[in-house]
Amino acid sequence: MSAGSDKRLLVAWLALSAITIASGALASLGGRDALRPNAALTFGVIAIALVKVRVILREFMEVRHAPALLCRLTDGWLLFTAVSLLGTYVAGIATS
Amino acid sequence: MKNLATPASFVPGQPDMWAFVLFEAMLFTGYFSVYMVCRMQSPELYLRSQAQLDLRVGVFNTLVLLFSSWSIARCVQAAREGRHPAALRGAFLTSFLGLVFLASKVLEWSREIRKGFQFTTDGFSSFYYFLTGIHFLHLLIGFVVLGVVVYQLWSPARRSQELVETGATYWHTVDFLWVMIFSLLYVMR
Repeated sequence: MSAGSDKRLLVAWLALSAITIASGALASLGGRDALRPNAALTFGVIAIALVKVRVILREFMEVRHAPALLCRLTDGWLLFTAVSLLGTYVAGIATS
Repeated sequence: MKNLATPASFVPGQPDMWAFVLFEAMLFTGYFSVYMVCRMQSPELYLRSQAQLDLRVGVFNTLVLLFSSWSIARCVQAAREGRHPAALRGAFLTSFLGLVFLASKVLEWSREIRKGFQFTTDGFSSFYYFLTGIHFLHLLIGFVVLGVVVYQLWSPARRSQELVETGATYWHTVDFLWVMIFSLLYVMR
């Protein structure tokens, strides 16, 4: 169990770190233009953040081994947060 | 000491901690939603203010906390397998990385304040200091929690696997809340 679990944790950590560096690099692309409203980037950034949080929950916090109720509650929170943040963003764009 | 064999399905740590984690997660979703509503009222102003932040510092802080999450996860595994010296090293490494994050955050705040970027400068700065400040408070509580983990692992007479897992669950929460804060304050446009 140890070697397999250690490898799984290592892969999760490396993936999370790589995604963080990639999203930072993506956000800094374009120089001055990078600081203009960008719906596609914002959607991507929020979606990537939620995926990262899910990886932390499932791999580091071991929710993948937890009873179905805890899996549903954490996924439900992620879904609620996604709808809340992206919905607000879209509504803001539509009314501006 | 809790049994070393892990059942097929189990709640890591105390269920009460999970209730707290879910409560905190919902609370932060509320903060993030209010931030998003305010941001969408004047997106250009928020973007101009966001330009004051150093994205590289945000990336560095995120990497440090992800590293700390990995080390506390390894600590839990080592403790579960009875490798307590390795678990203790993992808990110390996590504490050290927490201190690195703490120092980096304090330096970042002091740099921003010297530049005139203060709590009352504008809407974005208020949210920046509020969200990073309340996260910092959670980080400080995290050091107490890590102290409990170290205390548990230190002596063979204690070593409650449940408390080690509970402490790790709290620390991971500090990490994933930061992942969201980093995305919303430093990266989004």
